[in-house]
Amino acid sequence: MDDSNERKFQKELNGGLVGLVLLAVLAKTDEDLYGYEIAKRLANANDGTSIFKEGTIYPVLRALSAGSLLTSRIVPSYSGPPRRYYRITEQGRSVLAEWKLIWASTRDFVDRFIETEPST
Amino acid sequence: MNRSAPRSIDQYLKQLREELAGADSALIQDALYDSEEYLRAEVAAHPDKSESDVLELIASTYGAPDEVADAYRDTEVKVKAAMATPRKVPNSKLGAFFGVFLDPRAYTSLFFMLLCLATGIIYFVFAVVGISLSAGLAVLIVGVPFFLMFVAIGRVVSLAEGRLIEAMTGVRMPRRPVYQESALGFWARIGEMLRDRRTWTTIAYFILMLPIGITYFVIALVGLCVSLAFIALPITAVCAQAGWFGLSGVEVFSNAQPEWLFESGFAIPILGVAGVLLLTSLMHLARGVGKLHAMFAKSMLVARAAPATAHVAASGAALAAQ
Repeated sequence: MDDSNERKFQKELNGGLVGLVLLAVLAKTDEDLYGYEIAKRLANANDGTSIFKEGTIYPVLRALSAGSLLTSRIVPSYSGPPRRYYRITEQGRSVLAEWKLIWASTRDFVDRFIETEPST
Repeated sequence: MNRSAPRSIDQYLKQLREELAGADSALIQDALYDSEEYLRAEVAAHPDKSESDVLELIASTYGAPDEVADAYRDTEVKVKAAMATPRKVPNSKLGAFFGVFLDPRAYTSLFFMLLCLATGIIYFVFAVVGISLSAGLAVLIVGVPFFLMFVAIGRVVSLAEGRLIEAMTGVRMPRRPVYQESALGFWARIGEMLRDRRTWTTIAYFILMLPIGITYFVIALVGLCVSLAFIALPITAVCAQAGWFGLSGVEVFSNAQPEWLFESGFAIPILGVAGVLLLTSLMHLARGVGKLHAMFAKSMLVARAAPATAHVAASGAALAAQ
């Protein structure tokens, strides 16, 4: 029961964060990245395990691309279906800057309550 | 749903398709495509492990089929709401009527109606030439491969038509091609293609697009010409009155009926207003036609979720029986 509670909370938290993290990853690099590569970068940055399931990043990538925050191109691949490579757009960068501010103020707000909790 | 963990890419994709049963068919097609890309890349990245060993770990990295299905369903809903430009809700009936001029979908739908003549001719010629050559060549050895090539190209064209329709009308259409079960043999795949209802509805859609395209084109063109001509009438009259150019000797309303209207000076402003109303109605009509056509195209070009799951269940049973 505890496990499913944790899972549910994590899932709810991830809702908007996945988009923020994906934009940040793509803003940091000059290369175009495809879904699998992004998933592996996220996992490697966190000792091999990603906080969110890698399957959840694909729908978000496509959604960001549909909102013209990312552009994409298709490149054939030997290992499976053609890969879709993503790159951040100027609009994506400005949205990312706004989202960063929102995230920072949200984090500060939440921390204010959590950190002042009396430790027993 | 409780079931055994998938041990191969094909099993994973089958379970994912079952989990997504009932979702938008375009979404299912995209989800299967993305998952296949990831799974094949993951298997290729671990050449020392077997496919089933890699799949064992998938639930903890990529996510089990039910989690992935949830992610697609949730994201689709949330992002659509977040990304949609907030539409101003017109506060009056008059605002709602003329507000159509602020809706980009109305303009793109109108353009789509004009474009349908061109695409309709291309699709019709493609389908008719394909069918008749397939029938004619059927007696020769090249007949069968020719027909298969025709069907395969038809699928690519139908994906492109879907992208065009989504761009023009905003209705969700597939962004990825249909996932083909590569485990099936060559002949089994051909049989599958011929049994697939979508193969035949796609061809029917291509043929129907000629009469539909002609109808759309005529409605859009006549509507535009008549309404714009009516709107231009008062402007022309004012310019002529101001003496910017002469209309002497031109009887605009010669023999126009009813006489009481056209003899009076009201005819020109009334027709101008009628032109504005007509143009606005045309924009509404275009937007509606765009939506209806997208629904029609979806039913003809995109596989229904239900038969696909039935087929998956059948092949799953066949696998279990082995």
